[in-house]
Amino acid sequence: MDALAHLASGFAAALSPAYLVYAFAGCVFGTLIGVLPGLGPAAGTAILIPLTFQLDPTGAIIMLAAIYYGAMYGGTITSVLINVPGEAASVVTCIDGHEMAKQGRGGTALGIAAIGSFIGGMVATAALALIAAPLARFALKFGPPEFFALMLLGLCLVSGLAGRSLAAALLMTVLGLLVSMIGIDPVRGAPRFAFGIADLYDGLGIVPVVMGLFGVAEILITAEQPVRRIIRTSFAQLLPSRDEWARSWGAIVRGTGIGFGLGLVPGIGAIVPTFMAYIAEKRLSQTPERFGRGAIEGVAAPETANNAYANAAMVPFLTLGIPSSPTIAVLMGAFIVNGLTPGPFLFQERPDLVWTVIASFFVGNVILLVLNLPLVGLWAKILHVPFRYLAVGVAFFCVLGAYSLQQSVFDVWVMIGSGVVGYALRKLDLPLAPLVLGLILGPAIEKSLRTSLEMSGGDYGIFFTRPLCLALLIAAVAVLAGAALRLAPKELRAA
Amino acid sequence: MTPQARSHRAAERAVLVCLCALFAAAAGIAYGYSLQDDLGPGAGFFPFWLGVIGAALCLVLLAQSLRGRAIGDGAEGLSPDRAGALRAAALLGGLVLTALLLEPAGFRATALVVTAGLLVALGVRRPLAIGAFALASSFGLFQVFHHWLRVPLPVGPFGL
Repeated sequence: MDALAHLASGFAAALSPAYLVYAFAGCVFGTLIGVLPGLGPAAGTAILIPLTFQLDPTGAIIMLAAIYYGAMYGGTITSVLINVPGEAASVVTCIDGHEMAKQGRGGTALGIAAIGSFIGGMVATAALALIAAPLARFALKFGPPEFFALMLLGLCLVSGLAGRSLAAALLMTVLGLLVSMIGIDPVRGAPRFAFGIADLYDGLGIVPVVMGLFGVAEILITAEQPVRRIIRTSFAQLLPSRDEWARSWGAIVRGTGIGFGLGLVPGIGAIVPTFMAYIAEKRLSQTPERFGRGAIEGVAAPETANNAYANAAMVPFLTLGIPSSPTIAVLMGAFIVNGLTPGPFLFQERPDLVWTVIASFFVGNVILLVLNLPLVGLWAKILHVPFRYLAVGVAFFCVLGAYSLQQSVFDVWVMIGSGVVGYALRKLDLPLAPLVLGLILGPAIEKSLRTSLEMSGGDYGIFFTRPLCLALLIAAVAVLAGAALRLAPKELRAA
Repeated sequence: MTPQARSHRAAERAVLVCLCALFAAAAGIAYGYSLQDDLGPGAGFFPFWLGVIGAALCLVLLAQSLRGRAIGDGAEGLSPDRAGALRAAALLGGLVLTALLLEPAGFRATALVVTAGLLVALGVRRPLAIGAFALASSFGLFQVFHHWLRVPLPVGPFGL
């Protein structure tokens, strides 16, 4: 009842004209970002942070969260029409979505994606509203050892599921953690790795680094590639036929369950639920041979799972302060820029903000559906804008975004440097997500580790004598062992 | 092994060696920050162990690479064609030039010049389109961010 009362007051605030405008603007900008090739949701959300500088914290978070959702949907349009996923989670949608577009059913593919995303998003947000508060209350009982173990589990999950090589993913995690050590030591206050450079005393900004790793690196890689052909498809029929509905509803229900369930696990990434939803549909189908040839379930299931995941990923983020993906890591940066720390204490200290933001997720999902079904033809037209103009525009927006955070050219250099590093790492297939999450969680994980050891007088037994902490550590080891076993046959083959 | 795979493997090893050196240097520097003090782990404790673990992982990956196992499949393609490489280099050069000119020349002048130059470098040959786009991304963006959104942007000589 408490949650319902809070949610009701959240709706009262979220439906105020100003917040509705912010949510609407966020959905428009987000969809635009998702549609633009060469700009994923992480970089897109990062470069649009300056747009929110003049807003109150609640308005800023509402707008950025709407950008996140919009970008997740916008990626679908490029997947269907040009066979290029706007973001990693839309990779699976390319398989059948692009086939549908080639058959002249692109409008239906985008229509079922919008409907599935809406249903998945609404159900996941309802579940978020129900479980977030109890989980936050439970998390209040966590001490530094439990937080350390939880963050370690999150990093292990990201490392275990990213890329083809566990060692490479772990290397990127460690690199992210090490880069986060630059600046003032969070426990003793001593400068580290600053080399007397004043700009380094505050460490490297998360937002410029993410803009560089994802935004600059992406436009450099896209600039190298030849121009892609855009499928001209019909948008006359957006709603599926009766037969297509019959095939899709089960996929939507299962996609919601898979997306929500996996979204609760910190660090799992959006690509896993979409693949799992697709594979589940293919296995359950009586005609699996249709998959890969334009099966509507192959679009409905991953797109629903994607949006359910996007909403569910807010649970570990809001209640535990653990970002599940690079885009949520950017949102975390926006919280910090606004003087807010995501985690269990946020529910105690700023319930007005938390519940207004949760209510705005419902509102944002409705706006996205209303915006995307009738305007899908318009979004598709944006794909025809020549890449030369987009690349220059995106590059300048990145500069603007990095500079305006602190009015510092140093941040622009950090962004450019991160862009070159991101470009090189992508060329070598070294995963970027573990690096970003390591960078974000580094200070907190170090602080909880050192505080735990101070509590125990240097005795590492503190991590093994507290049941919850021990369980989380066992889970972390199990995740890494599972990933090692999964990848072991490949290594044996290679040897 | 194709020449492209060979160059991919060489680049991979070069990056791993550089990373290994970076981690080793970080561990060395962190060792100087004190690993332990009266209250518990010192400022160097966490970065020291990160440096050690990172260097060890680099060595593992290097050993795998020497045994013939690449980190990934090189899906992005290590070396693009000449035209693609020039486009990417032009964009990177434009970003570097922007960072160099932003404060001394101001946002508007920098954006005007760099945007127009980049469009030409990327193959746009329509003066009207170049002019309109350059004006929008310099004076237009300045108007939106500096005046409407109150985001301070650098102003150079002659108020540009």
